[in-house]
Amino acid sequence: MGIIWFLIVFPLVAAALCVISRDERLRGVIVCVSACVIAVGSIVLAAQHLGGTARYYAFSSVAISVVLFIVELALCAYIMWRSLSARKYGVFVLACVQALLACVAEFGPSGSVEVHRAVYIDTLSSIMVLIIGIIGSGICVYAVGYMRDFQRHQDELARQGKEFSTDRQGFFFAVMFAFLSGMFGIVTFNDLAWMLCAWEVTTVCSFYLIGYTKTAEATANSFRQIWMNLIGGIAFATAVIIIGVTCSVMELDRFIAIGALAPMAAMLPVALLALASLTKAAQMPFHTWLLGAMVAPTPTSALLHSSTMVKAGVFLLIRLSPLMGVYVSGLPRMGINPVGFSVILVGCITFLLASLIAVSQSNAKRVLAYSTIPTRGRIVTCAGIGSAAAVWAAIFLLIFHACAKSLLFLCVGTAEHHIGSRNIEDMDSLITRMPKLAVLMAFGICGMFIAPFGMLVSKWAALGAFVNSGVIVIVIMLAFGSAATFFFWAKWLAKIVAGDPSAENVEGSVHTTEWCALGLMALLLAACSIFLPAISSGVVTPYVRQLTGGVMRMPSAGDLVLMAVCAFVMIAIPLVVALRARSIRRGDGHQPYFGGVGHGHAAFMDSMGQQVAYTQRNWYLEGMFNEEKIGMIGTVLCTIIAFMGISASVGLAVVFFGSVI
Amino acid sequence: MVWLSVLLAILFVVVAPVLGCLITGADRILTARMQRRRGPSILQPYYDVRKLLEKDARANDVVQVILLALSLVMLVVAGVCLYAGANFLLCILLETLSSLMFILAASVDPSPFVQVGVQREILQVMCCEPMLLLFAVGVYLYTGSFSVSSLFSTNLPMVVWLPLIFIGLVFVLTIKLRKSPFDIASSHHAHQEIVAGASTEMSGLSLALIEVTHWYELVILMSWVGMFFVTSNPLSVLLAILAAAVVFLLEIWIDNSFARVKWQVMFKSSWMVALVCGMVNFAMFFFIDSNGLVFF
Amino acid sequence: MSVKDTSKKGASYVKKSPWIIHYDAASCNGCDIEVLASLTPLYDVERFGIINTGNPRHADIFLVTGSVNEQAKPVIEQIYSQMVEPKVVIACGICACSGGVFKTCYNTMGGIDQVIPVDVYVPGCAVRPEALIDGVVRALDILEQKRAAMDAGLPVPTPEVKLGVETPRVLHTQDDPDESGTPIEPAAQGGEGAKR
Repeated sequence: MGIIWFLIVFPLVAAALCVISRDERLRGVIVCVSACVIAVGSIVLAAQHLGGTARYYAFSSVAISVVLFIVELALCAYIMWRSLSARKYGVFVLACVQALLACVAEFGPSGSVEVHRAVYIDTLSSIMVLIIGIIGSGICVYAVGYMRDFQRHQDELARQGKEFSTDRQGFFFAVMFAFLSGMFGIVTFNDLAWMLCAWEVTTVCSFYLIGYTKTAEATANSFRQIWMNLIGGIAFATAVIIIGVTCSVMELDRFIAIGALAPMAAMLPVALLALASLTKAAQMPFHTWLLGAMVAPTPTSALLHSSTMVKAGVFLLIRLSPLMGVYVSGLPRMGINPVGFSVILVGCITFLLASLIAVSQSNAKRVLAYSTIPTRGRIVTCAGIGSAAAVWAAIFLLIFHACAKSLLFLCVGTAEHHIGSRNIEDMDSLITRMPKLAVLMAFGICGMFIAPFGMLVSKWAALGAFVNSGVIVIVIMLAFGSAATFFFWAKWLAKIVAGDPSAENVEGSVHTTEWCALGLMALLLAACSIFLPAISSGVVTPYVRQLTGGVMRMPSAGDLVLMAVCAFVMIAIPLVVALRARSIRRGDGHQPYFGGVGHGHAAFMDSMGQQVAYTQRNWYLEGMFNEEKIGMIGTVLCTIIAFMGISASVGLAVVFFGSVI
Repeated sequence: MVWLSVLLAILFVVVAPVLGCLITGADRILTARMQRRRGPSILQPYYDVRKLLEKDARANDVVQVILLALSLVMLVVAGVCLYAGANFLLCILLETLSSLMFILAASVDPSPFVQVGVQREILQVMCCEPMLLLFAVGVYLYTGSFSVSSLFSTNLPMVVWLPLIFIGLVFVLTIKLRKSPFDIASSHHAHQEIVAGASTEMSGLSLALIEVTHWYELVILMSWVGMFFVTSNPLSVLLAILAAAVVFLLEIWIDNSFARVKWQVMFKSSWMVALVCGMVNFAMFFFIDSNGLVFF
Repeated sequence: MSVKDTSKKGASYVKKSPWIIHYDAASCNGCDIEVLASLTPLYDVERFGIINTGNPRHADIFLVTGSVNEQAKPVIEQIYSQMVEPKVVIACGICACSGGVFKTCYNTMGGIDQVIPVDVYVPGCAVRPEALIDGVVRALDILEQKRAAMDAGLPVPTPEVKLGVETPRVLHTQDDPDESGTPIEPAAQGGEGAKR
């Protein structure tokens, strides 16, 4: 248990050091060393518990409870202050409600519930600890170089009088570390009140990080994030109070045990917790905060998307998956579980619609955001289905997405700083301008949609699980969503392979820290792909068996051999890209046919004998995949479904407690 | 049964290109006859490939050839997967992967015709993908597993239960086979707009690889059609072959009788067909044989 | 000249699948109509495996109609350079052979051989499909010679560009022994286009 506390406290110490140190170089050293320590700590912790049974520590501490309560109130106060100074009164009200609920939880009947086992660790937690500890801290290391360039750029703008800029990098790193601390808390706290506090920590940290640049857009987006996540926080706090009052427990594991015995009693809190998870996981109708978060510096986006924030939401959902399955015995009306059913639908609609929107996006970070949301959607759906195969798929989606997506985010961040744009259309000739980065980016894209992640897990396992759930409408949505996914990844990949040999290589100025982090993510992705069978049989399958009681039918041996062939492609494509980068440097290639006279690759002769430049652009089909229209449909549909889910669970709770009384 | 799977797989690798070549040749003759021409020899596709291999190999881009070879390998593995009776979903995924390899190989060339062709290819994959996945789901629902071999233990051919899925598949086959109304106005037609689309800049070896890939693909696609007709009765294989032949004739007929449509029409119609066929057929399926499954 | 004499590997396939790119340099369209007519059911050149690809990278035979003017010159040169060896050029119609009635126009350079090496000359105004098919069949032998030379690692026999050289009055195919000794001037401008 010592290591758990170490992992929670040490990032806070690192954060304090970051604030104190004024020197950029010193701060860089602090960040790198702390990141290494955190990574080692998380590996040690995970190594002890990965694949084993859950370990609950008989531990409770009034002092810690009080401290965390104060932290939570402080966070609420911070939001109130920020919202008042920005005249966002709606947010102010939400923050007040949140503070009020925190007090109710602390001083009301639920506050007096005794907690015996406040801390735990099991396989899922260990996996999360690894993701946070390695990928999260890897992103912090990346940020060292990135933020230096970022600050130069900001200073440059300030000199031109365009923007006001002060060096707040210290705070930036401090908040990043605080964020990690909060995440460690979420995945290891069994005490729901403590977990709520950690939950709020991540919300507020991300609020600060999104609004970091203090531009009007950043501020607006940060407030959008905070109001959405405050709704989630309020739902969480309400759930905690209800659990304390009705079930007289405060521990997550005991609540789940009670819920499995009396599903109707637990229905309302599960619904509220699921709502909280959906806001964190940026599912429709709450997906807009994640898109807004794209204005933040790239490490923030990477941290929010791949390793933390959105992971917290799906983590909780996977935890709750035993209580969600579509069919739960002991329920009226054909035994359909309203919460599970609405979660599945929200996840699946989000998956489909966000994938469709991604087709029309050309901004690389928005494409990534719109591919993150659907992946979350798939995890949410899997967790909602709650069968062994579904949870198996959900956990693998979680792992692979963390590696591949953080790699892609960091690639885009570096590309942005060196080619001056985050638009995919401006990534023309990336292969000649930044060959190594192009290879890594291709690897990341392959990681996202080719075997084993894209194919084995997200299509094979997920499709099987979806079909078995019996809800055929989600299978159809999955089929269409997958098709859209192919479209936007394939055209991005095609863009990377094409290139003009005359472009200049600008890769020299990429910081070493950035390369380290990029290399780390690529290595993790490769390792996860290669050792997938081992991870499955050694870690995930035993856990799934404990959690769901079901047995995951692994693909047969013959299938695995064939799967290995697919996995080979994932390695092959980046290699081919590397080969292409070399051959293009050598100046291979011929004059392409222009149906007339061409001048090199990008110009032709017109009828007057003049050279005319030509550029080629990908298709975005904006008329069909209109972001606003589809987003609106998704928001409306998912809001209705969420309302129906919650009201159905309220109804069930009323029926249940009415009959008990 | 393992030896039978291995035998069939080997047989596929060896026979499929021959068969594919002959079918393509027959296609060209039939098309010519429909246009009141005599048409080339049935071995013309073979001659074409041999000729392409005789062209100057130095004109080929190494990376492109590697990618095209990968595309071919993926497709062969997909076919092996199918004929060995293994996982059908995997077969479809590999087929998609093969298309991706082709797309990447083509996008190496910076020509405007190629780029338009590449975008079009990607779009075509997007058009076909939902129907193919739903087809796999249909196999799963019908046999209880994704395994192709399980089709050979059924009493009734799958088409009886999944008629709409079958129609949907035939619909997207028109796209997969690059037939009018869903093709592009490219070479090999008297009317050309974007030269040869994605393969405009390829020559010799590259083009030969594509052609051989198409032979394999043709056999795999026709086998998919056949899958709807096989049962535990060995004679049903004959029925399957007959069905595939009829569908192929139908495709040639469609090719020669329909005017080309815009990509918007292709996209909308293929998704609409997939949606309607999938929804209605699965609804029928559950209505008749409900195992307590929920349907919206 | 027989095919089998030059081919070491046995039967060659270049003769069985000649793919064509057709370019209209400055034709009056009379020959172009006839070129397309040979695709129609009456002549059906696909019988011989001939396909009109419209793409230099795929084509084996470059079929040019019309005389060459300044506008068309770079296009012809580039299309020729984009074709992959072995390849042959057919000058199709009298204008393509020698400039025809446009020969003395201020903007006309003359026949195709003023710009790129021509292997087969097919006369006619407009060229008849039968003559055209005959020209292609003759071109196939030359194509085969070139392939054999390429296979043997020898330089591909290519006729010189005849810039400034009077086109012979009697039209012929390149392998006609009588004309092989035509005096050849080093081509200052056209030579560039002649190299791949």
